[in-house]
Amino acid sequence: MDKSTLLLLAIVLAVFGLSIAAGHPAWGTFTGLAIILLAAGLAAGALPLQSQDYFEERIGPSQRISNGLITLSSAAIVAIYAAGYHRTSSAAHKFDLQIPQQRISATVAGVPPVAKSGIDAAPPLSPSVAPAIKKNNKRPSAPPRKAGPSTGSDSIGAPRAASAPKTTNPQAGDAARPAAAAQVRYKDGVYLGLGSCRHGDIEASVTIQDGKIALVAISQCLTRYSCGWIAPKTPGGGFPDLPSQVVERQNPKVDYVSGATESSYAFADAVIAALSKATE
Amino acid sequence: MHSPMRLSQPCPKRRSDGVLRTVALMGTFVTIHVVGHVVGHEGELGQTVQREEAVDRAFEWFCRVEECCTRFEPNSEVMLLANQVGVPVQVSTILYEAVRFALAVAEESDGAFDPTVGYAMETRGFNREYRTGKTIRSTLDSSRSVNYRDVRLDADAKRITLLRPLIFDLGAVAKGLAVDLAARELQPFKDFAIDAGGDLYLGGCNPDGEPWSIGIRHPRSDHELIDALRISNRAVCTSGDYERRAPAEEHGHHILDPRMGSSADAAASVTVIAPNAMLADALATAAFVLGPAEGIQLFDRLGVDGLIISPGLDRHATRGMSDYH
Repeated sequence: MDKSTLLLLAIVLAVFGLSIAAGHPAWGTFTGLAIILLAAGLAAGALPLQSQDYFEERIGPSQRISNGLITLSSAAIVAIYAAGYHRTSSAAHKFDLQIPQQRISATVAGVPPVAKSGIDAAPPLSPSVAPAIKKNNKRPSAPPRKAGPSTGSDSIGAPRAASAPKTTNPQAGDAARPAAAAQVRYKDGVYLGLGSCRHGDIEASVTIQDGKIALVAISQCLTRYSCGWIAPKTPGGGFPDLPSQVVERQNPKVDYVSGATESSYAFADAVIAALSKATE
Repeated sequence: MHSPMRLSQPCPKRRSDGVLRTVALMGTFVTIHVVGHVVGHEGELGQTVQREEAVDRAFEWFCRVEECCTRFEPNSEVMLLANQVGVPVQVSTILYEAVRFALAVAEESDGAFDPTVGYAMETRGFNREYRTGKTIRSTLDSSRSVNYRDVRLDADAKRITLLRPLIFDLGAVAKGLAVDLAARELQPFKDFAIDAGGDLYLGGCNPDGEPWSIGIRHPRSDHELIDALRISNRAVCTSGDYERRAPAEEHGHHILDPRMGSSADAAASVTVIAPNAMLADALATAAFVLGPAEGIQLFDRLGVDGLIISPGLDRHATRGMSDYH
């Protein structure tokens, strides 16, 4: 018998008991009282159980979290790492199939300061749309790295292998994108653009091949950062062009500085400037 | 609760054949630094190739996490979720775990940290993709105010159900998570540093064979440090009211008080030291909203260390912070 039934029965008994005690002097007050007592007993059996449940529901989870945020975060990292790229991206793929008609309408608009046409037309650089499969055969201006690392990384990385399933995803999204995006073609070539932030200037080089962005890289930086930058989300999908550098200490006093996240909009500005030249 | 930071035996000195790379990712600059071989162990030179490959894989984790969790790409997993109301949606492990953790921190901080502020952030002007400069404008089926209680999780099937249309802002959690996954990838090398625009994980020792020396930026003076710490095998993350101003608000910045709907102003800078960066970053954000008194309480309760600089530049630190000097 579940608790709510028990409670209901107790209430019915209590009412019955009261009516006997009040309305049937012949049966006597004692019988009535006895029935009320029985009802109280039943209720006592039911109520504490319920309040215990209530306690667990309301207090329990928060209490568990309180003791376990460190555990929870560590477990999450282990779970994701163990699942690896392959499983997570195939799950993402499944997710994409679930919603062929995505309802979120997102428009991509130009940013005022730079030539509008250039931005509206910019094909997304994100790997979810980039043809990751072209990875090895379509990397225009990229001088292949030393043989050792590049061959090795392809065979070793479960991570690498897994970027492939993603390539089939974006149909749903592409449909929602403004039609103009697909039509504007850039002129082939390599274009440079400059972006600035208070840490200094960045020069980006954008390589256009077959009317599309093939590679975005930092060609020069005059900031306090080292010059190994590149936008990794190239059609290559990887980091083939990043020069490995001899380790240099950034600062004689401290190794690194922790602070509020520094944004890399200067990089975006440089890319936009380069793209605007490609459409002129 | 506080494991000893100072190493009983100093690390051996390293040669400079390590790997150091910086890449523009997740709206900031990510640097990965793997320290070179031990002096006297030249035979380990073959490890250079392995280091390069591991660093490749570490950067791949950043891409993978960003891909799932970015608000700036209309087709990212998290954005596709936004208007799927009332339907349990199966998501990737990365997104599920990131959301689950973010909700747990929200619960723990009583809403001072809230991952459901994505749409609010977008309308405040944090809507620009950092790589291309494109802005994003999303349409929700309803713009009613939402909070972390409007989300249900199904742990067994890894499904997320939204009770109202909402956009997750997983910025803090996702960056930390990527740092932690990269750190796991680099674990075999023991001595390494990952810097995601000021969110750090420090493994082992620096090239001098000492625990990493980490400066905490002064919130009001660009080239000054407000503290310097010695860190080994810990994450350090700082939230501040500087660096990212809200384009749509005169004095606004990038940390929203989810309870008020405006920029938080209880602190100028919050630094957290924790076993992993996901926790450190989320708690730094939460404490930034809570302010010094409640923030320190939160750190003590959860067993992490932290330093909170008030808007008046007073220092509030957990007891354990002295272990890192």
